[in-house]
Amino acid sequence: MSSSPTANSSGPVPAGAGIGLRSAHHEALVRERPAVGWIEVHTENYFHDGGPHLTALERAREAYPLSLHGVGMGLGSVDPIDRSHLARVARAIERFEPALVSEHACWGSHDGENFNDLLPLPYTDEAVVHLADRVAEVQDLLGRQILIENLSCYLSYSSSRLTEWEFLAAVVERAGCGLLLDVNNAYVNSVNVGLDAKAFIDGLPAGAVQEIHLAGHTRRQVGERTILLDDHGSRVPEAVWRLYEHAIARLGAVPTLIEWDTNVPDLSVLVDEAARAQRRLDGVRGLAA
Amino acid sequence: MASLPELQARFAAALRGNASPMEPDVVGDGLEAAGRLDIYRNNSRAVFEGALERTYPVLRRRVGEDYFRQLAHGYRQRFPSRSGDLHGVGEHFARHLAGTEAESGYAWLAELAELEWACECAFVAAREQPVGPQALAGLTPDELALTRLRLQPSLRGVSSSFPVLDVWRANQPDADGHAVDLARGGQCVLVSCGVDGLELVEVSAAALAFTQQLQAGAPLGSAVDESGLDLAELPGLLGMLFSGSLVTGVTGPAMEGAPK
Repeated sequence: MSSSPTANSSGPVPAGAGIGLRSAHHEALVRERPAVGWIEVHTENYFHDGGPHLTALERAREAYPLSLHGVGMGLGSVDPIDRSHLARVARAIERFEPALVSEHACWGSHDGENFNDLLPLPYTDEAVVHLADRVAEVQDLLGRQILIENLSCYLSYSSSRLTEWEFLAAVVERAGCGLLLDVNNAYVNSVNVGLDAKAFIDGLPAGAVQEIHLAGHTRRQVGERTILLDDHGSRVPEAVWRLYEHAIARLGAVPTLIEWDTNVPDLSVLVDEAARAQRRLDGVRGLAA
Repeated sequence: MASLPELQARFAAALRGNASPMEPDVVGDGLEAAGRLDIYRNNSRAVFEGALERTYPVLRRRVGEDYFRQLAHGYRQRFPSRSGDLHGVGEHFARHLAGTEAESGYAWLAELAELEWACECAFVAAREQPVGPQALAGLTPDELALTRLRLQPSLRGVSSSFPVLDVWRANQPDADGHAVDLARGGQCVLVSCGVDGLELVEVSAAALAFTQQLQAGAPLGSAVDESGLDLAELPGLLGMLFSGSLVTGVTGPAMEGAPK
Protein backbone atom coordinates (compact mmCIF):
# COMPACT_ATOMS: atom_id res chain seq x y z
CA MET A 1 0.00 0.00 0.00
CA SER A 2 1.13 3.49 -0.69
CA SER A 3 0.42 5.17 2.64
CA SER A 4 2.81 5.18 5.57
CA PRO A 5 1.36 4.44 9.00
CA THR A 6 3.66 6.87 10.73
CA ALA A 7 3.78 9.74 8.28
CA ASN A 8 0.89 11.93 9.29
CA SER A 9 -0.81 10.79 12.48
CA SER A 10 -1.96 14.24 13.50
CA GLY A 11 -3.01 15.45 10.07
CA PRO A 12 -6.14 14.86 8.02
CA VAL A 13 -7.34 11.40 7.14
CA PRO A 14 -5.61 10.57 3.85
CA ALA A 15 -7.60 9.68 0.75
CA GLY A 16 -6.56 6.08 1.22
CA ALA A 17 -7.87 2.96 2.87
CA GLY A 18 -8.22 2.58 6.64
CA ILE A 19 -9.67 0.07 9.05
CA GLY A 20 -12.17 0.17 11.87
CA LEU A 21 -10.26 -0.52 15.07
CA ARG A 22 -11.99 -2.82 17.56
CA SER A 23 -10.65 -3.78 20.99
CA ALA A 24 -9.76 -7.28 19.80
CA HIS A 25 -7.08 -5.67 17.62
CA HIS A 26 -5.70 -3.04 20.01
CA GLU A 27 -2.59 -5.01 20.84
CA ALA A 28 -1.93 -6.34 17.35
CA LEU A 29 -2.27 -2.91 15.75
CA VAL A 30 0.27 -1.29 18.04
CA ARG A 31 2.62 -4.27 17.78
CA GLU A 32 2.43 -4.85 14.03
CA ARG A 33 1.79 -1.29 12.81
CA PRO A 34 0.18 -2.51 9.58
CA ALA A 35 0.38 -0.25 6.55
CA VAL A 36 -3.11 1.17 6.59
CA GLY A 37 -3.71 4.85 6.03
CA TRP A 38 -5.88 5.61 9.06
CA ILE A 39 -8.13 4.15 11.71
CA GLU A 40 -11.67 4.73 12.92
CA VAL A 41 -13.28 3.80 16.23
CA HIS A 42 -16.77 3.97 17.67
CA THR A 43 -16.74 7.11 19.77
CA GLU A 44 -18.85 5.58 22.57
CA ASN A 45 -16.20 2.93 23.23
CA TYR A 46 -13.84 5.68 24.43
CA PHE A 47 -16.16 7.72 26.61
CA HIS A 48 -14.59 6.60 29.87
CA ASP A 49 -12.20 8.25 32.27
CA GLY A 50 -9.39 5.76 31.70
CA GLY A 51 -8.54 2.11 31.38
CA PRO A 52 -6.60 -0.13 28.99
CA HIS A 53 -8.80 0.65 25.97
CA LEU A 54 -8.17 4.39 26.23
CA THR A 55 -4.46 3.77 26.66
CA ALA A 56 -4.49 1.50 23.61
CA LEU A 57 -6.20 4.14 21.48
CA GLU A 58 -3.78 6.80 22.65
CA ARG A 59 -0.92 4.58 21.47
CA ALA A 60 -2.63 3.79 18.17
CA ARG A 61 -3.35 7.48 17.74
CA GLU A 62 0.37 8.21 17.81
CA ALA A 63 0.79 6.19 14.63
CA TYR A 64 -2.41 6.74 12.64
CA PRO A 65 -4.78 9.56 11.73
CA LEU A 66 -8.07 8.96 13.51
CA SER A 67 -11.77 9.23 12.77
CA LEU A 68 -14.39 9.12 15.55
CA HIS A 69 -17.62 7.46 14.43
CA GLY A 70 -20.61 7.80 16.72
CA VAL A 71 -23.41 5.27 16.87
CA GLY A 72 -25.44 6.52 19.82
CA MET A 73 -26.54 10.09 19.34
CA GLY A 74 -29.77 9.34 17.47
CA LEU A 75 -29.74 12.78 15.89
CA GLY A 76 -33.14 12.40 14.24
CA SER A 77 -34.97 11.43 17.44
CA VAL A 78 -37.84 13.67 18.47
CA ASP A 79 -36.52 13.20 22.01
CA PRO A 80 -34.25 16.07 23.07
CA ILE A 81 -30.56 15.81 22.25
CA ASP A 82 -28.79 13.94 25.06
CA ARG A 83 -26.50 16.69 26.34
CA SER A 84 -24.45 14.39 28.55
CA HIS A 85 -23.80 12.09 25.59
CA LEU A 86 -22.79 15.05 23.49
CA ALA A 87 -20.49 16.31 26.25
CA ARG A 88 -18.72 12.96 26.23
CA VAL A 89 -18.35 13.14 22.44
CA ALA A 90 -16.79 16.58 22.93
CA ARG A 91 -14.43 15.18 25.56
CA ALA A 92 -13.37 12.34 23.24
CA ILE A 93 -12.72 14.90 20.48
CA GLU A 94 -10.62 16.98 22.84
CA ARG A 95 -8.70 13.93 24.03
CA PHE A 96 -8.00 12.25 20.68
CA GLU A 97 -8.10 15.16 18.22
CA PRO A 98 -9.71 13.18 15.39
CA ALA A 99 -9.47 14.34 11.79
CA LEU A 100 -13.07 13.30 11.13
CA VAL A 101 -16.17 13.03 13.32
CA SER A 102 -19.28 11.28 12.06
CA GLU A 103 -22.75 10.08 13.06
CA HIS A 104 -25.81 8.64 11.36
CA ALA A 105 -28.95 9.96 9.65
CA CYS A 106 -31.17 8.12 12.09
CA TRP A 107 -33.24 8.27 15.24
CA GLY A 108 -32.77 5.99 18.25
CA SER A 109 -34.75 6.93 21.34
CA HIS A 110 -38.32 7.64 22.29
CA ASP A 111 -39.67 8.98 25.55
CA GLY A 112 -36.28 8.45 27.18
CA GLU A 113 -35.86 4.81 26.17
CA ASN A 114 -32.91 4.22 23.88
CA PHE A 115 -33.22 1.33 21.44
CA ASN A 116 -29.48 1.44 20.67
CA ASP A 117 -30.18 0.91 17.02
CA LEU A 118 -29.95 3.08 13.92
CA LEU A 119 -33.63 3.59 13.13
CA PRO A 120 -34.76 5.01 9.79
CA LEU A 121 -36.30 8.43 9.23
CA PRO A 122 -39.01 9.14 6.66
CA TYR A 123 -37.71 11.14 3.71
CA THR A 124 -39.96 14.14 4.21
CA ASP A 125 -39.43 17.89 4.40
CA GLU A 126 -40.37 17.72 8.08
CA ALA A 127 -37.61 15.16 8.77
CA VAL A 128 -35.09 17.16 6.72
CA VAL A 129 -35.69 20.22 8.88
CA HIS A 130 -35.66 18.23 12.11
CA LEU A 131 -32.47 16.30 11.35
CA ALA A 132 -30.62 19.21 9.75
CA ASP A 133 -31.38 21.53 12.65
CA ARG A 134 -30.18 18.89 15.12
CA VAL A 135 -27.01 18.34 13.11
CA ALA A 136 -26.41 22.10 12.95
CA GLU A 137 -26.93 22.38 16.71
CA VAL A 138 -24.45 19.57 17.36
CA GLN A 139 -21.93 21.14 15.00
CA ASP A 140 -22.28 24.46 16.82
CA LEU A 141 -21.79 22.78 20.19
CA LEU A 142 -18.80 20.74 19.00
CA GLY A 143 -17.35 23.66 17.09
CA ARG A 144 -16.72 21.59 13.98
CA GLN A 145 -18.36 19.98 11.01
CA ILE A 146 -19.57 16.41 11.29
CA LEU A 147 -20.33 13.82 8.62
CA ILE A 148 -23.69 12.06 8.43
CA GLU A 149 -23.87 8.46 7.25
CA ASN A 150 -26.63 6.90 5.16
CA LEU A 151 -28.32 3.99 6.95
CA SER A 152 -28.98 0.40 6.06
CA CYS A 153 -32.75 -0.04 6.18
CA TYR A 154 -35.18 -2.91 6.61
CA LEU A 155 -38.22 -0.79 5.82
CA SER A 156 -39.22 2.37 4.00
CA TYR A 157 -42.10 4.67 4.87
CA SER A 158 -45.11 5.32 2.74
CA SER A 159 -44.91 8.96 3.85
CA SER A 160 -41.52 9.53 2.17
CA ARG A 161 -41.84 12.13 -0.55
CA LEU A 162 -38.12 12.50 -1.30
CA THR A 163 -35.60 9.94 -2.48
CA GLU A 164 -32.89 9.02 0.01
CA TRP A 165 -30.32 11.05 -1.91
CA GLU A 166 -32.61 14.07 -2.12
CA PHE A 167 -33.17 13.79 1.62
CA LEU A 168 -29.44 13.66 2.41
CA ALA A 169 -28.63 16.45 -0.04
CA ALA A 170 -31.26 18.66 1.61
CA VAL A 171 -29.84 17.92 5.07
CA VAL A 172 -26.33 18.77 3.84
CA GLU A 173 -27.54 22.03 2.33
CA ARG A 174 -29.47 23.12 5.41
CA ALA A 175 -26.99 21.97 8.09
CA GLY A 176 -23.69 22.48 6.29
CA CYS A 177 -22.55 19.01 7.30
CA GLY A 178 -20.58 16.50 5.25
CA LEU A 179 -21.55 12.98 4.19
CA LEU A 180 -20.19 9.56 4.98
CA LEU A 181 -21.24 7.27 2.16
CA ASP A 182 -21.68 3.67 3.27
CA VAL A 183 -21.61 1.75 0.00
CA ASN A 184 -22.61 -1.50 1.67
CA ASN A 185 -25.67 0.21 3.16
CA ALA A 186 -26.68 1.47 -0.28
CA TYR A 187 -26.37 -2.05 -1.65
CA VAL A 188 -28.29 -3.53 1.31
CA ASN A 189 -31.04 -0.98 0.74
CA SER A 190 -31.23 -1.85 -2.96
CA VAL A 191 -32.31 -5.36 -1.92
CA ASN A 192 -34.29 -4.53 1.23
CA VAL A 193 -36.26 -1.46 0.12
CA GLY A 194 -35.66 -1.28 -3.63
CA LEU A 195 -33.20 1.62 -3.64
CA ASP A 196 -31.52 2.32 -6.99
CA ALA A 197 -28.03 2.22 -5.49
CA LYS A 198 -26.22 3.76 -8.47
CA ALA A 199 -28.76 6.55 -8.75
CA PHE A 200 -28.34 7.10 -5.01
CA ILE A 201 -24.59 7.51 -5.35
CA ASP A 202 -24.94 9.65 -8.46
CA GLY A 203 -27.49 11.87 -6.74
CA LEU A 204 -25.45 12.73 -3.66
CA PRO A 205 -23.74 16.13 -3.58
CA ALA A 206 -20.27 14.93 -4.57
CA GLY A 207 -18.32 17.61 -2.76
CA ALA A 208 -19.96 16.67 0.54
CA VAL A 209 -18.78 13.05 0.60
CA GLN A 210 -15.65 13.01 2.74
CA GLU A 211 -15.56 9.34 3.72
CA ILE A 212 -16.72 5.96 2.46
CA HIS A 213 -17.53 2.81 4.45
CA LEU A 214 -17.25 -0.74 3.15
CA ALA A 215 -18.39 -3.88 4.94
CA GLY A 216 -19.98 -7.27 4.54
CA HIS A 217 -23.57 -8.33 5.10
CA THR A 218 -25.56 -11.53 5.58
CA ARG A 219 -28.31 -12.78 3.28
CA ARG A 220 -31.43 -14.11 5.04
CA GLN A 221 -34.71 -15.44 3.79
CA VAL A 222 -37.73 -13.97 5.62
CA GLY A 223 -40.80 -15.73 4.30
CA GLU A 224 -40.74 -15.25 0.54
CA ARG A 225 -38.45 -12.25 0.78
CA THR A 226 -34.65 -12.01 0.73
CA ILE A 227 -33.36 -9.54 3.28
CA LEU A 228 -29.75 -8.45 3.70
CA LEU A 229 -28.67 -7.96 7.29
CA ASP A 230 -26.01 -5.29 7.68
CA ASP A 231 -23.98 -7.23 10.24
CA HIS A 232 -20.42 -6.17 9.30
CA GLY A 233 -19.37 -9.76 9.82
CA SER A 234 -17.68 -10.84 6.59
CA ARG A 235 -15.53 -9.69 3.70
CA VAL A 236 -16.85 -7.04 1.34
CA PRO A 237 -18.99 -8.89 -1.26
CA GLU A 238 -18.20 -8.57 -4.96
CA ALA A 239 -21.41 -6.65 -5.66
CA VAL A 240 -20.39 -4.05 -3.06
CA TRP A 241 -16.91 -3.76 -4.56
CA ARG A 242 -18.51 -3.05 -7.94
CA LEU A 243 -20.71 -0.38 -6.42
CA TYR A 244 -17.66 1.07 -4.68
CA GLU A 245 -15.85 1.28 -8.02
CA HIS A 246 -18.84 3.16 -9.39
CA ALA A 247 -18.73 5.50 -6.39
CA ILE A 248 -15.05 6.40 -6.59
CA ALA A 249 -15.25 6.75 -10.37
CA ARG A 250 -17.72 9.57 -9.66
CA LEU A 251 -16.39 10.92 -6.37
CA GLY A 252 -12.65 10.41 -6.87
CA ALA A 253 -10.32 9.03 -4.20
CA VAL A 254 -12.19 9.41 -0.90
CA PRO A 255 -10.90 8.06 2.46
CA THR A 256 -12.34 4.56 2.63
CA LEU A 257 -12.84 2.42 5.70
CA ILE A 258 -13.19 -1.33 6.13
CA GLU A 259 -15.70 -2.00 8.93
CA TRP A 260 -15.92 -5.35 10.71
CA ASP A 261 -17.95 -5.66 13.91
CA THR A 262 -19.17 -9.25 14.30
CA ASN A 263 -17.18 -12.46 13.95
CA VAL A 264 -14.11 -10.24 14.00
CA PRO A 265 -11.22 -12.06 12.25
CA ASP A 266 -7.46 -11.60 12.58
CA LEU A 267 -6.22 -8.09 11.96
CA SER A 268 -4.48 -9.34 8.81
CA VAL A 269 -7.87 -9.98 7.16
CA LEU A 270 -8.93 -6.37 7.69
CA VAL A 271 -5.57 -5.16 6.41
CA ASP A 272 -6.02 -7.35 3.33
CA GLU A 273 -9.49 -5.89 2.71
CA ALA A 274 -8.05 -2.40 3.10
CA ALA A 275 -5.38 -3.28 0.51
CA ARG A 276 -8.15 -4.22 -1.93
CA ALA A 277 -9.79 -0.85 -1.42
CA GLN A 278 -6.43 0.89 -1.72
CA ARG A 279 -5.73 -0.74 -5.10
CA ARG A 280 -9.03 0.61 -6.39
CA LEU A 281 -8.26 4.07 -5.01
CA ASP A 282 -4.82 3.95 -6.64
CA GLY A 283 -6.54 3.05 -9.90
CA VAL A 284 -8.76 6.12 -9.66
CA ARG A 285 -5.75 8.30 -8.93
CA GLY A 286 -3.96 6.77 -11.92
CA LEU A 287 -6.87 7.69 -14.17
CA ALA A 288 -6.91 11.20 -12.79
CA ALA A 289 -3.16 11.71 -13.26
CA MET B 1 -49.72 11.28 6.81
CA ALA B 2 -48.16 10.61 10.19
CA SER B 3 -46.02 13.39 11.62
CA LEU B 4 -42.45 12.57 12.68
CA PRO B 5 -43.40 12.43 16.40
CA GLU B 6 -46.37 10.17 15.63
CA LEU B 7 -44.28 7.88 13.47
CA GLN B 8 -41.54 7.52 16.09
CA ALA B 9 -44.13 6.90 18.82
CA ARG B 10 -45.71 4.08 16.79
CA PHE B 11 -42.34 2.61 15.83
CA ALA B 12 -41.21 2.71 19.47
CA ALA B 13 -44.41 0.98 20.58
CA ALA B 14 -43.75 -1.77 18.04
CA LEU B 15 -40.17 -2.16 19.31
CA ARG B 16 -41.50 -2.48 22.85
CA GLY B 17 -43.69 -5.32 21.65
CA ASN B 18 -46.94 -3.43 21.90
CA ALA B 19 -49.57 -3.71 19.20
CA SER B 20 -48.74 -0.88 16.85
CA PRO B 21 -50.73 -0.05 13.73
CA MET B 22 -47.81 0.59 11.38
CA GLU B 23 -49.13 -1.18 8.29
CA PRO B 24 -50.23 2.12 6.65
CA ASP B 25 -46.84 3.71 7.44
CA VAL B 26 -44.59 1.05 5.92
CA VAL B 27 -44.09 0.00 2.31
CA GLY B 28 -44.57 -3.78 2.17
CA ASP B 29 -42.80 -4.85 -1.03
CA GLY B 30 -42.90 -8.57 -0.38
CA LEU B 31 -42.62 -8.42 3.40
CA GLU B 32 -45.34 -6.91 5.57
CA ALA B 33 -44.65 -4.20 8.14
CA ALA B 34 -44.76 -6.64 11.06
CA GLY B 35 -42.00 -8.76 9.52
CA ARG B 36 -39.84 -5.72 8.84
CA LEU B 37 -40.37 -4.36 12.35
CA ASP B 38 -39.44 -7.78 13.74
CA ILE B 39 -35.95 -7.28 12.32
CA TYR B 40 -35.56 -4.04 14.25
CA ARG B 41 -37.09 -5.54 17.40
CA ASN B 42 -34.64 -8.45 17.23
CA ASN B 43 -31.71 -6.13 16.53
CA SER B 44 -32.52 -3.94 19.48
CA ARG B 45 -32.95 -6.92 21.79
CA ALA B 46 -29.72 -8.56 20.57
CA VAL B 47 -27.73 -5.36 20.98
CA PHE B 48 -28.96 -4.99 24.58
CA GLU B 49 -28.26 -8.64 25.39
CA GLY B 50 -24.83 -8.44 23.76
CA ALA B 51 -23.89 -5.43 25.87
CA LEU B 52 -25.11 -7.17 29.02
CA GLU B 53 -23.20 -10.30 28.09
CA ARG B 54 -19.98 -8.34 27.60
CA THR B 55 -20.37 -6.89 31.09
CA TYR B 56 -21.36 -10.19 32.72
CA PRO B 57 -19.39 -12.92 30.88
CA VAL B 58 -18.98 -15.11 33.97
CA LEU B 59 -22.65 -14.99 34.84
CA ARG B 60 -23.51 -15.73 31.21
CA ARG B 61 -21.17 -18.74 31.21
CA ARG B 62 -22.58 -20.10 34.46
CA VAL B 63 -26.28 -19.87 33.58
CA GLY B 64 -26.04 -20.68 29.87
CA GLU B 65 -27.40 -18.86 26.84
CA ASP B 66 -31.11 -19.54 27.27
CA TYR B 67 -31.38 -18.59 30.92
CA PHE B 68 -29.17 -15.55 30.42
CA ARG B 69 -31.50 -14.43 27.65
CA GLN B 70 -34.47 -14.82 30.01
CA LEU B 71 -32.69 -12.81 32.67
CA ALA B 72 -31.75 -10.11 30.16
CA HIS B 73 -35.34 -9.91 28.90
CA GLY B 74 -36.76 -9.46 32.40
CA TYR B 75 -34.08 -6.93 33.24
CA ARG B 76 -34.70 -4.90 30.09
CA GLN B 77 -38.42 -4.75 30.83
CA ARG B 78 -37.63 -3.13 34.16
CA PHE B 79 -34.48 -1.21 33.26
CA PRO B 80 -34.53 -0.34 29.55
CA SER B 81 -31.54 1.43 28.09
CA ARG B 82 -31.61 5.17 28.70
CA SER B 83 -28.41 6.04 26.86
CA GLY B 84 -26.84 5.85 23.44
CA ASP B 85 -23.76 4.49 25.21
CA LEU B 86 -24.33 0.82 25.96
CA HIS B 87 -21.55 0.47 28.49
CA GLY B 88 -23.83 1.45 31.36
CA VAL B 89 -26.83 -0.77 30.60
CA GLY B 90 -25.77 -3.34 33.18
CA GLU B 91 -25.64 -0.88 36.06
CA HIS B 92 -28.76 -2.17 37.81
CA PHE B 93 -28.42 -5.86 36.97
CA ALA B 94 -27.28 -6.94 40.44
CA ARG B 95 -30.13 -5.07 42.09
CA HIS B 96 -32.59 -6.56 39.62
CA LEU B 97 -31.31 -10.09 40.23
CA ALA B 98 -31.38 -9.57 43.98
CA GLY B 99 -35.09 -8.95 43.64
CA THR B 100 -35.99 -11.65 41.14
CA GLU B 101 -33.63 -14.50 42.00
CA ALA B 102 -33.66 -14.33 45.80
CA GLU B 103 -36.17 -17.16 46.15
CA SER B 104 -35.06 -19.13 43.11
CA GLY B 105 -32.04 -20.97 44.42
CA TYR B 106 -29.90 -18.60 42.36
CA ALA B 107 -29.46 -15.95 45.03
CA TRP B 108 -25.71 -15.99 44.41
CA LEU B 109 -26.23 -14.58 40.90
CA ALA B 110 -26.87 -11.09 42.29
CA GLU B 111 -23.58 -11.16 44.20
CA LEU B 112 -21.72 -12.46 41.16
CA ALA B 113 -23.27 -9.63 39.14
CA GLU B 114 -22.12 -7.15 41.78
CA LEU B 115 -18.56 -8.43 41.39
CA GLU B 116 -18.70 -8.27 37.59
CA TRP B 117 -20.12 -4.73 37.70
CA ALA B 118 -17.22 -3.75 39.99
CA CYS B 119 -14.88 -5.20 37.35
CA GLU B 120 -16.61 -3.19 34.62
CA CYS B 121 -16.31 0.03 36.63
CA ALA B 122 -12.69 -0.62 37.56
CA PHE B 123 -11.75 -1.38 33.95
CA VAL B 124 -12.82 2.04 32.67
CA ALA B 125 -11.80 4.21 35.64
CA ALA B 126 -9.15 6.89 35.46
CA ARG B 127 -5.66 5.82 36.49
CA GLU B 128 -3.67 8.22 38.63
CA GLN B 129 0.07 8.29 39.15
CA PRO B 130 0.87 6.01 42.12
CA VAL B 131 3.13 6.99 45.02
CA GLY B 132 5.50 4.63 46.83
CA PRO B 133 5.64 3.63 50.51
CA GLN B 134 8.53 6.03 51.07
CA ALA B 135 5.83 8.68 51.44
CA LEU B 136 5.21 7.24 54.90
CA ALA B 137 8.89 6.99 55.85
CA GLY B 138 9.93 8.74 59.04
CA LEU B 139 6.42 9.38 60.31
CA THR B 140 5.85 8.94 64.02
CA PRO B 141 2.98 6.65 65.07
CA ASP B 142 0.88 9.71 65.93
CA GLU B 143 1.55 11.30 62.55
CA LEU B 144 0.81 8.00 60.83
CA ALA B 145 -2.57 7.75 62.57
CA LEU B 146 -3.55 11.17 61.20
CA THR B 147 -2.33 10.44 57.67
CA ARG B 148 -4.80 9.98 54.83
CA LEU B 149 -4.17 7.83 51.76
CA ARG B 150 -5.74 8.60 48.40
CA LEU B 151 -6.46 5.39 46.48
CA GLN B 152 -6.79 4.68 42.75
CA PRO B 153 -10.23 5.63 41.38
CA SER B 154 -10.52 2.13 39.93
CA LEU B 155 -10.46 0.45 43.35
CA ARG B 156 -13.74 -1.24 44.26
CA GLY B 157 -14.70 -3.43 47.20
CA VAL B 158 -17.22 -6.27 47.09
CA SER B 159 -18.47 -8.34 50.00
CA SER B 160 -20.49 -11.47 49.34
CA SER B 161 -22.15 -14.27 51.27
CA PHE B 162 -21.27 -16.73 48.49
CA PRO B 163 -17.75 -17.52 47.17
CA VAL B 164 -18.17 -15.33 44.09
CA LEU B 165 -14.46 -14.73 43.58
CA ASP B 166 -13.90 -18.48 43.29
CA VAL B 167 -16.76 -18.65 40.79
CA TRP B 168 -15.27 -15.72 38.88
CA ARG B 169 -11.83 -17.34 38.73
CA ALA B 170 -13.20 -20.72 37.68
CA ASN B 171 -15.02 -19.10 34.76
CA GLN B 172 -12.35 -16.95 33.16
CA PRO B 173 -11.83 -17.66 29.43
CA ASP B 174 -8.77 -19.83 30.09
CA ALA B 175 -10.28 -21.66 33.11
CA ASP B 176 -12.13 -24.96 33.06
CA GLY B 177 -15.38 -23.66 34.58
CA HIS B 178 -15.30 -26.25 37.36
CA ALA B 179 -18.13 -26.25 39.87
CA VAL B 180 -17.59 -24.22 43.03
CA ASP B 181 -19.11 -25.31 46.33
CA LEU B 182 -21.46 -22.41 46.99
CA ALA B 183 -21.84 -23.46 50.62
CA ARG B 184 -18.18 -22.65 51.21
CA GLY B 185 -19.08 -19.20 52.54
CA GLY B 186 -18.63 -15.58 51.53
CA GLN B 187 -15.63 -13.66 50.26
CA CYS B 188 -14.42 -10.05 50.40
CA VAL B 189 -12.74 -8.83 47.26
CA LEU B 190 -10.76 -5.77 46.21
CA VAL B 191 -11.08 -5.08 42.49
CA SER B 192 -8.77 -2.72 40.63
CA CYS B 193 -7.38 -2.20 37.15
CA GLY B 194 -3.71 -1.67 36.48
CA VAL B 195 -1.76 -1.32 33.27
CA ASP B 196 -2.02 -5.08 32.74
CA GLY B 197 -5.76 -5.27 33.32
CA LEU B 198 -8.02 -6.31 36.18
CA GLU B 199 -6.67 -7.38 39.57
CA LEU B 200 -8.95 -9.21 42.02
CA VAL B 201 -7.62 -9.92 45.50
CA GLU B 202 -9.40 -11.68 48.36
CA VAL B 203 -9.04 -9.83 51.66
CA SER B 204 -10.49 -10.15 55.14
CA ALA B 205 -13.75 -8.40 55.98
CA ALA B 206 -11.84 -6.01 58.23
CA ALA B 207 -9.32 -5.24 55.47
CA LEU B 208 -12.18 -4.46 53.08
CA ALA B 209 -13.83 -2.21 55.66
CA PHE B 210 -10.48 -0.50 56.34
CA THR B 211 -9.96 0.17 52.62
CA GLN B 212 -13.46 1.57 52.31
CA GLN B 213 -12.77 3.84 55.27
CA LEU B 214 -9.68 5.15 53.47
CA GLN B 215 -11.72 5.71 50.32
CA ALA B 216 -14.21 7.71 52.37
CA GLY B 217 -11.36 9.97 53.49
CA ALA B 218 -10.70 8.63 56.98
CA PRO B 219 -7.15 8.90 58.34
CA LEU B 220 -5.30 5.66 58.98
CA GLY B 221 -5.93 5.67 62.74
CA SER B 222 -9.67 6.02 62.60
CA ALA B 223 -9.85 3.66 59.59
CA VAL B 224 -8.25 0.98 61.79
CA ASP B 225 -10.59 1.76 64.69
CA GLU B 226 -13.74 1.84 62.58
CA SER B 227 -12.95 -1.29 60.60
CA GLY B 228 -11.75 -3.40 63.52
CA LEU B 229 -8.61 -4.26 61.58
CA ASP B 230 -6.10 -6.26 63.57
CA LEU B 231 -2.98 -4.08 63.75
CA ALA B 232 -0.90 -7.13 62.87
CA GLU B 233 -2.67 -7.11 59.49
CA LEU B 234 -1.92 -3.44 58.80
CA PRO B 235 1.66 -3.65 57.43
CA GLY B 236 0.75 -6.41 54.99
CA LEU B 237 -2.37 -4.59 53.82
CA LEU B 238 -0.54 -1.29 53.32
CA GLY B 239 2.22 -3.19 51.55
CA MET B 240 -0.33 -4.69 49.18
CA LEU B 241 -1.91 -1.31 48.47
CA PHE B 242 1.47 0.29 47.73
CA SER B 243 2.90 -2.63 45.73
CA GLY B 244 -0.32 -2.79 43.72
CA SER B 245 0.18 0.89 42.76
CA LEU B 246 -3.16 1.59 44.43
CA VAL B 247 -2.02 4.55 46.55
CA THR B 248 -1.95 7.82 44.65
CA GLY B 249 -1.57 10.39 47.40
CA VAL B 250 -0.52 10.75 51.03
CA THR B 251 -1.62 13.71 53.13
CA GLY B 252 -1.32 14.50 56.79
CA PRO B 253 -0.03 16.95 59.33
CA ALA B 254 3.57 16.08 58.54
CA MET B 255 3.02 16.96 54.87
CA GLU B 256 1.17 20.21 55.69
CA GLY B 257 -1.86 18.86 53.86
CA ALA B 258 -0.17 18.72 50.50
CA PRO B 259 -0.49 15.58 48.40
CA LYS B 260 2.79 13.78 47.86
